[in-house]
Amino acid sequence: MTEAPPRTAGPGPAATGPRLVGTSVPRKEDLALLTGTARFIDDIRLPGMVHATILRSTVAHARVRSIDTAPARAVPGVLDVLAGAELVGKVKPWGDLMQDLLVGDHFPFATDKVLYEGQELAAVVAGTRYQALDGCEAVAVDLEELPAVVDPEQALRPDAPLVQERIVYEFGEGNVFDRYRVRVGDFAAAERDAAVVVRQRFTTNKQAGAALDPHGCVASHDPFTGVLTLWSSTQSVYMVRDVLADVLQIPRTKVRVMVPEVGAGFGSKAQMFGHEVIAALFSMRLGRPVKLVLRRDEIFRAGTTRNSQVRYAELAMAADGEITGYRDYVVHNTGAMSVWGNQVVHIGTNVGMLPYPIPNVHVDSDIVHTTTAPGGPLRGFGIPQTVWAKEQLVDMAARELGLDPLAVRERNVVDPATFPYRTPMGQVIDSTSIKQCLTACAEAIDWAAKRAAPVPHEGLGLAVSMKYTSCRHPSLDTDLSAVRLRLETDGTVTIYSSDVSHGQSHATMLSQIVADGLGVGIEKVTLAPPDSMTAPFGLGTYASRGAAVLGTACRLATERLRDKVLAIAAHVLEVGPGDLDTGNDRVFVKGLPDSGIYLEILAATAAYRTHQLPPDFEPTLETVATYDTPTEREASDGSGNLSVTYSGAAHAAHVRVDPETGRVTVVDYAMVHDTGTVINPLVVEGQHQGGFLMGMGMALSEDYVYDENGHQLNASFKDYLAVTAPEVPELTRMSEIPAPSTTIPGGQKGAGESGTGPVPAAIGNAVLDATGIRFTALPITPQRMLTALREKERRGVETLRYPDDMPDFTGPRCPDEWPSPTAAEADDFDFDFDFDLDPEEGA
Amino acid sequence: MRAFTWLEPGTTTDAVALLREHAPGARLIAGGQSLLLAMKDRTAGPTHLVSLAGVEGLAGVRTADDGSLVVGAATTYTALTRLDATALGGWHGVLGAVAGDLADRPVRNRGTVGGSLCTGDPRYDVPVLAAGVDATLRITGAGGDREVPATGFAQGPGLVALRPDEVLTALVLPPRPRWDAVAFEKFRHRVFDAAIVSVTCALRAGADGVAEARLTVGGATPAPTPVPGAAARLVGPLPDPDAVAAAADAAAEEVLPGGATAGEAVRYRHELVRTLVRRAVTRAAADLRRS
Ligand SMILES: Cc1cc2nc3c(=O)[nH]c(=O)nc-3n(C[C@H](O)[C@H](O)[C@H](O)COP(=O)(O)OP(=O)(O)OC[C@H]3O[C@@H](n4cnc5c(N)ncnc54)[C@H](O)[C@@H]3O)c2cc1C
Repeated sequence: MTEAPPRTAGPGPAATGPRLVGTSVPRKEDLALLTGTARFIDDIRLPGMVHATILRSTVAHARVRSIDTAPARAVPGVLDVLAGAELVGKVKPWGDLMQDLLVGDHFPFATDKVLYEGQELAAVVAGTRYQALDGCEAVAVDLEELPAVVDPEQALRPDAPLVQERIVYEFGEGNVFDRYRVRVGDFAAAERDAAVVVRQRFTTNKQAGAALDPHGCVASHDPFTGVLTLWSSTQSVYMVRDVLADVLQIPRTKVRVMVPEVGAGFGSKAQMFGHEVIAALFSMRLGRPVKLVLRRDEIFRAGTTRNSQVRYAELAMAADGEITGYRDYVVHNTGAMSVWGNQVVHIGTNVGMLPYPIPNVHVDSDIVHTTTAPGGPLRGFGIPQTVWAKEQLVDMAARELGLDPLAVRERNVVDPATFPYRTPMGQVIDSTSIKQCLTACAEAIDWAAKRAAPVPHEGLGLAVSMKYTSCRHPSLDTDLSAVRLRLETDGTVTIYSSDVSHGQSHATMLSQIVADGLGVGIEKVTLAPPDSMTAPFGLGTYASRGAAVLGTACRLATERLRDKVLAIAAHVLEVGPGDLDTGNDRVFVKGLPDSGIYLEILAATAAYRTHQLPPDFEPTLETVATYDTPTEREASDGSGNLSVTYSGAAHAAHVRVDPETGRVTVVDYAMVHDTGTVINPLVVEGQHQGGFLMGMGMALSEDYVYDENGHQLNASFKDYLAVTAPEVPELTRMSEIPAPSTTIPGGQKGAGESGTGPVPAAIGNAVLDATGIRFTALPITPQRMLTALREKERRGVETLRYPDDMPDFTGPRCPDEWPSPTAAEADDFDFDFDFDLDPEEGA
Repeated sequence: MRAFTWLEPGTTTDAVALLREHAPGARLIAGGQSLLLAMKDRTAGPTHLVSLAGVEGLAGVRTADDGSLVVGAATTYTALTRLDATALGGWHGVLGAVAGDLADRPVRNRGTVGGSLCTGDPRYDVPVLAAGVDATLRITGAGGDREVPATGFAQGPGLVALRPDEVLTALVLPPRPRWDAVAFEKFRHRVFDAAIVSVTCALRAGADGVAEARLTVGGATPAPTPVPGAAARLVGPLPDPDAVAAAADAAAEEVLPGGATAGEAVRYRHELVRTLVRRAVTRAAADLRRS
């Protein structure tokens, strides 16, 4: 991987000495992780700690007749038992804390109805985990099973079982809990003028975060101070603290959230969960610490999943390959309940249009409930789903027009003459190298030569995407993170942040920024564990926001701290602050880096020799900075610049299909990214590799397999086919073409999710090239591949769509059978009216 | 998991006695690689675990006087992979190859041949190899010792022809002359996943080709299933690719009749049987040609 050149221009402190930003500093995190001394949630043991477990529904949809916890209380070792009914009126439902996000659809336990398999029915706390399990088995549950609805399109039918019965939605009815639409330009005109319009129904899968470190927490309520301390394996300290305090109806000051080492989240830990409330309640009732760590099957069934979608997607292309329009009707399955689910379709669609500045975009979405596991954020946040449909349509259109898919993409990717450039969808592209990334990636896979000499059962596929860097989510009018820095009295520096690092290497990345900015050795910089009692308010770690948003806050806090240090030094040395520089743990007069005053002395001066401070100087060597991105709120036509900057990803897959077993092997894979200024190439490369791996799982193997009763058949790592190292190709063809962000002061862009977006589409396009089979459903399993190959042989055709052309396919096969959005007409009327009045608006 | 009592007998006689004494809750445990998983999710809850780890003479491999290979039930996969060609000569070596290409290292270090055979999981490898080479199982119990063919021992998922107070002591592979070439083939998603379908092909050479053939399919059916009809097609001159393909088609139809037009999951297994029989026969026939 190429290393980003260090940035010379731009704001920020210019420290002397070797700059660490831009170099592969070994990760500070690794020593503890590799020696086994890192402490994860299940490692926490407190004196007097007791153990809770949750009894979960084994059916997907049912009316609760009764839940009798009395027998559980008689089980040896059991200390307390909870179920839903007794909490009604005492505990506040959640799901609506952040504006516009749903009415309170979450409660610690099912009360009147079970909505999905794995939903909480009761919980038991006991001296040991095994006694608690015994207690759960003793709870007498009487449920009246109701018909399940697993398929999101079934959920739209008027006769479908109603999932959420009690909640009145603002923008939906029945199982439609929300709607979303985009009206940019005029798709009908684009359709009329196009040389070709390709249309295809695509479906995507439910994917698990599959973080190895389970969801779990330890709650400890101190009856004397009234403070509830919660250690949790979570991505966001304050989201948990604020929602938990609200649910329990206690002041924020009485809830302290701390986070141990977190063995990944990928979006699956980006909200507060029922188990956190349950552990807290037990601890408050017993006055003892309570541990509640979920088992793998519980995480599968009751954690959040990637939202599955059905997309009726259309793409209009001019004869020269220009993409002129995109229309889609998305049935978005957000499971039985969801905090984040509807956001996924908004952002995934808006940003999913990139890297093409498509002038005419028309999207409708019905966001529906089914009796399946809650949908939520997962690496890529809706973009892999959109790109799966759109990037295959691009190939389909190119084929119809006899154009090279590479040339078509090169023609269309955003490549403006000047920056910043606003796309018709409203994204402000502050910098990008996506076109160069695309060309480089095609070269890396040897596109031209390999396509000129095709090998049977092998194929190449391309896909490009841009991933947002942090986001002003439509339901959250905020996009901030904060850092507090303290220069300690021995010259070391402590960083406080509430944005949990769970694989993103914050300790390393932030220390690089502080070391460069303050001239302090990186070994002297420490990241404090996330703790709501000490860390400033920030939103958390998701949306690829760490380096750009938290990193910028850290940069600002460093500049402020540097100013204070320089002020003391200037006073002591009797020079102006402008004559000073920092480096080698010292502040020195410019040009004399081997002299100067050690930071240690300056810090000690501020603490212990305050007479030597400048007059009126406030001695605190602690600074705080918050960075809120200059992003926009989503406009009513769906447009807007929701992200501060955009990371480019151009991917090329080379696959081989075994025609005898159906196995798809990714034999080679090239990735070229624009992550802006790369703070730590080693870390960024790791993020891209991990991102690819999750994309590959989405493409080839991972899915929630449900039976018709809504029972998940593969809720274990034995049966859920997460990708493991042996299946992954050597990812040697990876490089960066940095186009530093001009909005983010350090130039960095998000790295965590750009490796995922293009993967399913690139593999899908390669699979078509290898076999003539266009997969319209994910994942492309060996079973599906082999049955499709046999069907293709049987019919003697050149191309086949799976499953659309299979004999047993029951869905709509061609566009004239496609369904319409449930509220299509009303929306169209409103929109056309506005549009006629002011045709320039939104362009 | 539920509470249990751990028992460590030194002999099979003691093991059998303990199983009887603590019936019906007592279970044997060898490597625990299947049983512990079931205990963890409480689908099994034995009151007593009778460990085979300390039972004398239950682990290890020796060639008997008649040339048969006696594999102690408590022999681990890893132990099998460490044996050289003097201990596992000729096609007996397939056992070592199979043992080295399943699950992952920790499972191979603990998992045993006996545990694999007695779990009754249709997707495990050793039962398909054992049935495929017409091996015998040695069993001891309160009612005395008995020997049964490996074929038919498994009777469906989780079901084997073993009484609660019996111990499997050994898997006995027939003497080498019984077969001249044996090939085992399987298909799985990830390297450590159990097979979706597996196939054993055993061939005995005749004057000018194949004198006897045995084909056994695993994974596709509730228990390892011999396909004698398809195997019979292989007898005669060494099969050419067309003959192999015909036998493979016949095998698929014999194991899963009508599978080609069934639902996708069955159709897929039907296809895999074809593919794996073809591969196994091709490999075994090539061995035969070489020898
Ligand atoms: C991750 C993973 C991957 C795996 N992949 C594969 C694979 O690819 N292929 C494959 O074939 N297998 C696979 N397995 C299964 C593995 O082979 C079995 O778990 C193992 O062989 C069982 O042996 P054990 O000694 O651990 O049995 P245990 O778990 O100790 O016992 C299993 C059962 O057999 C009984 N039992 C054990 N020994 C005897 C005996 N001597 N007499 C009577 N009853 C007995 C026990 O009472 C119990 O009911 C996998 C397992 C895991 C965990």
